[in-house]
Formats: sequence, structure tokens, C-alpha cells
Amino acid sequence: MADKILLESEAKDILRKWSVPVPRGAAIKTVDEAISSAEATGYPVVLKVMSRGILHKSDAGGVKTGLRDRGDVERAWAEISCAVKKSSPSAVVEGFLIEEMAPSGVEVIVGALRDEQFGPTVMFGTGGIAVEVMKDVSFSLAPLKEEEAFEMMREVRGYPLLTGLRGRTPCDVDALAGVIVKVSRVIASTEGLKEFEINPLIVYGKGVMAVDARAIFSFPRPDRSAG
Amino acid sequence: MGDRRDLGFLFNPKSIAVVGATDAPGRLSRIIMESLTLGGFPGAVYPVNPKYKEVMGMRCYPSLRSVGAEIDLAVMAVPAPLTVDIFKNARGGLRAAVVISGGFSETGPGGKAMEDELRGVAEKEGIRVVGPNCMGLYDTVSRVDTLFISRERVRRPRPGAIAILSQSGSFALTAMDEFSSLGIGVSRVVSYGNRMDVNEADCLDFLAEDASTGAVVLYIEGIEDGGRFVEAASRCAREKTVMAMKVGKGRAGGSAARSHTGAMAGRYEVYRAAFKKAGVIEVAGYEEFMDGCRALNRLPRSRGVRIMIITDGGGMGAAIADACEAAGLEVPMLPEEKRAPLLRLFPSYFTVANPLDLTGSVTDEWMRGALSETLKGDSYDLAIVAALWGPPGLTDAMPGMLSAVAKASGKPVVICSPGGDYTKAKKPLFEKEGFAVFDTPEAAVRAARVLAGRQRARYG
Repeated sequence: MADKILLESEAKDILRKWSVPVPRGAAIKTVDEAISSAEATGYPVVLKVMSRGILHKSDAGGVKTGLRDRGDVERAWAEISCAVKKSSPSAVVEGFLIEEMAPSGVEVIVGALRDEQFGPTVMFGTGGIAVEVMKDVSFSLAPLKEEEAFEMMREVRGYPLLTGLRGRTPCDVDALAGVIVKVSRVIASTEGLKEFEINPLIVYGKGVMAVDARAIFSFPRPDRSAG
Repeated sequence: MGDRRDLGFLFNPKSIAVVGATDAPGRLSRIIMESLTLGGFPGAVYPVNPKYKEVMGMRCYPSLRSVGAEIDLAVMAVPAPLTVDIFKNARGGLRAAVVISGGFSETGPGGKAMEDELRGVAEKEGIRVVGPNCMGLYDTVSRVDTLFISRERVRRPRPGAIAILSQSGSFALTAMDEFSSLGIGVSRVVSYGNRMDVNEADCLDFLAEDASTGAVVLYIEGIEDGGRFVEAASRCAREKTVMAMKVGKGRAGGSAARSHTGAMAGRYEVYRAAFKKAGVIEVAGYEEFMDGCRALNRLPRSRGVRIMIITDGGGMGAAIADACEAAGLEVPMLPEEKRAPLLRLFPSYFTVANPLDLTGSVTDEWMRGALSETLKGDSYDLAIVAALWGPPGLTDAMPGMLSAVAKASGKPVVICSPGGDYTKAKKPLFEKEGFAVFDTPEAAVRAARVLAGRQRARYG
């Protein structure tokens, strides 16, 4: 395979570089590091497995949320290790990511891919992890202007979720538009990046947070590079 | 060699050779000869075929070279394997060719190899190629007709401002035949088949600058160079309406993508994004394609999406308003300053709103006044008039009165005229005045959406 999957921490490094907010936390290798990191960050925390062989961590049992103390972290570590061995026996576990729990908000997906014919393309959708069921998404060719990002938001059915449904606080759509534009620039300017995705991105009354991120690079085989 | 993008000589050739020309009735090359001569092509036509001295009373040449003059366009009606040799032997005397023949890349690896060889020779000899595996050109400006389908079976549309670019030859011909029946005119039609060389983007570049073309409609199966298409389509769409029908929507993405984004990105989603970026108005299918063409044939582009609905039947007005909303068009309330002048036109018990229901008491003058008052100023971009012929106050003079108002306003007015025999009999009154008439609220709104340049709604 010519594809290379980045670890979540590496994908989030890209986001940090582009000033997209991500949860505080650390990539760690041992349960002791997990506990000291959790104590530095402050409970509650989230523990996630990191492996290039596991693209969808929740499906593999590789995520535990709402860990309130040291005991929770130790238990979560054991449970994840066990679940991942079962669900993805061939995956090499390279470590864990421990992060602060992001407060709840409106979950959206901001993704990007490099299309064979049309090149860098951006996707926006509502529904967070349920995106593949809801299929409430819109696409645009990258790079985007801010106005095009707003247009993408208005194109999805879930748009009212962002504007303050039933008396809820309206979301910070300006910050969201900013992230969509940035993701369009990431895909347009990063050579070899085939797919990039923030899912979910949590949108708050003020600001956003990229809770999970994926990046897949694809490098052309030498015999095709001439084309 | 000049700018490869300048295809003027292809669209306006001065001389055409038909390679493989024959007198034999029913043969494709014979029909092509007939198409060219019946179409009244004013330039030189050279039949080329070593088997004959004369074809259809014209001197027939044994080879392209033997013509002894530069040939702008050759229509190649010979089996695929011969095409390569004929290109090789043309030796600089040929500028462009329409390769009708199939048997190239569409047939598999063997045909692909032959097409690659043909491309190589054409590039070396400087010959621009339309096709292979195509119908070629029908052009009312240069009067070129390379179609191998007889005029008896498929009528040719009158001259007009719509250009058709089609990956499918049969789609182009079916549309042309319907255009002829509906009185829709075309400027240029290109069926480019395998588009080994000349593709939709090359044609869009030419048509963007073409004074004879006011709108471009495309039938698209797939696009190879997406970036080039978006660039050319964007440029063309700034000047004129570019409308596209994309088929093969269900096909999944080509790569085995694995993120959610990858899984959601069917090919069609990316095409939609490309159309949006370029300002190409997508139509959902053949019905909408024809509705759009009928509108583009007769009516000016709309500057925006604000629709005024005028009717003498409240139900039809409400149905149009619903269809507008589903299509992403706006039906804004009547602004305050329009209420007083409108109220002066009607009896005191009238309510004025959008949709504006003129009721069964309607008269020609009410219709005219309502359209005139509402199109005035900058409140609305387009009007849909649903004129129901039941009320006795409407006479045959009404369409002409509406037409005068529409022309003075410079805004598009779409006529929706559902009904039975009496109504259908009145349709020509509108058409004579230059209106496009639609039989249903949905069709009228489809037409309005195309004129307003509104992208197709994701849901609806």
C-alpha cells in the first residue's frame, strides 16, 4: 500500500500548526504516564488508543470517555488494551492519547479529500459520528473563500442546529467557517495528503474544538509520477 | 502552430473533406454528404475515396493530399484502423478532423492502443480531433452538419443561441430533434464522443467568446481533467448561462477511501461541488434539461432569485410558491411601497400579496397592471404568471399586453398555463409573443431556477 495513516496525535499536530483548537493532552506509552498526564490536565479525561492499523477507534473499542480518577484511567487502559486485541489483532498499538474531556456542543464534521479529477475537495456535515447514517453533508472544491464556507453550512439540513435551535445559544459560525477555510487550505497545500478529517469538531457559543482528527497520506508509485 | 486553444477553424471551417465518401444510399458517409449539402455549407466540400471518381455529382479525390488545398476539417467515415494512415498521409494539409468511427478506446485495450497511436499521429501532424466514436458537429452559424443521421429521422433545429456539448451522440441528436419540434434554436452542437483531443473545456473556451452563443448546455457522463473543466466553465459561466446534466450519479468513489469523508464522497458529490464552484447550473434529468432549454431559448437571464407570482387562480399560485421554495427560489412579500399602487388597480375589497391572486374577476388590464407594477424597480428579479383561461375577463389580447410589459422590464417572465383543450389552444398566443409556456407549476419553476442561476437544492 502506498497509503500512510497518521496517528491522531500527528493529525492534531497539523491542526495545531494551523491554529485549530484541539483538547489539551499528551501522547503517552505507559499507564503511569497516563495518570500523571491526566493529573496535569485535570479530570475528567478521555483515553484513546493510537495505532496506524485502527482508523476508526470507537468501532474497535479503543476510546473511553469521562474518566474521573486514577482508578478510571487504569481500568480504561486495561479495557481498551483487551478490546483492541480482540477487534484488531494485527494492529500495532503505538501508544495512547490522553486528553481533557471537551464540553458538549454541536458536533459537526469538516473533512477534505483529494479527488482524482477535481483535486482538493472539502466536506462539511452535521451529525458528528452519525454522519454516514445521516448523509447530511455538502462538498466544495478547495481552496475556499469564507463566503463559500458559509454557503456549505447553509446547504445542509442540520443548519438550524448551528443557528440556535429552540432557544439554544447560537453557535460560533464564524469560528466554524474559519476551520472549514483552513481545512480547505490544508488539503490544497499539503502534498500527498489524500484525506483529512476533523470528526467531530465541536462548535460552541464561542469557539470550536477539534476532538478527533484523521489524516491519510498517499504517495504516488514511482512509475506513475511522470503522469 | 498557433494557440492550441483557438478552435475557430474547427467551428468555422472554410473547407471540409469527407473521407470515405460514397454514393451508396443508406451508407453513413453518404448521409454525411447529404447532411453537409442539405445544410447549405457555403465552403468547399471535397469527397475523398480512392474507389470513386465522382460522388453525388462532385469530383471525388483519391486522397486528402490530392485535393491540393489546405483542408480545415475532414470528416473521417472510414474504419478505425485506416484513420491512422490517412492522418499520416495528410502531411500538414489538414487542420482538424471529426472521427466518426468507433472501435477505439470504448472497445477495450486493443482499441485503446489504436486511439493512443491516433493521438500521437494527430499531435505530430498538428491535427485537432473531435471524437473518435462521435457524431461530430451541427452548426447553424457555419452551417456545418457532419451527422450521419438523416434529416428525415432526426430534424435539425433552427438557428438560435443555445450551444449543446454532449459526450453522447444520441443524446445530442434526441435533444436536437425535440428542439426542432419545440422551436428551440441552436448555435453550435458538438458531440465529442471519446474526446481523445478536443474536450468540453476546449469547446467552453471557444463558446465563452462566441457571439452567436448565448447559453451552453452540457450532457456529461464523466470529466477527465477536472481542474481544466472548472477553469473553462467558470470563464464561460461569467458571460452566459452554462447548464449541465450529469448522468452516472450512483457510481461510487474510485478510490478505496476510508475516512468518513472518503466514504461519503461519491463521484457525484464532487461533480456537484465542481459545478457549484464554476457556476454551472445542474439539472436533475432530461425533463429539467428540456425545461431549462425552453427557458433559455426565449428568455433573458434573471439577475437574482426573487420571484413574483401572479395568477387568477389562488391554488395554482400557492403550488408555484411551494415549488419555488423547494427549488431554493425566494417568494418575497410585497414591499410596502408597492401596495398602494397595486390597490389602486383593483376593487377596494382586494388583498394584495405575493402570490398575487387576481381571482375570477380578472381582466387583461389587471394582469398587465399587476405585472407592470411588480416588475418595476428592484423588488423582484423574475415573474411567473399562471394565467388560467377560465375567467371571462381574459381575452386573446392578454398575452400581447404581458409581452410588452415583460420586454420593457428586461426581466424574464415565465408563463405557467395548466389546463385542457381551451387552454392548450391558447398556448400559441403566448408563444407568438416570444414567451416560453409551461404546463405545470413544477415545470415553470424548473425553468425559473435555470434562469435565476440557482444551484439545485440538495433536498427537494
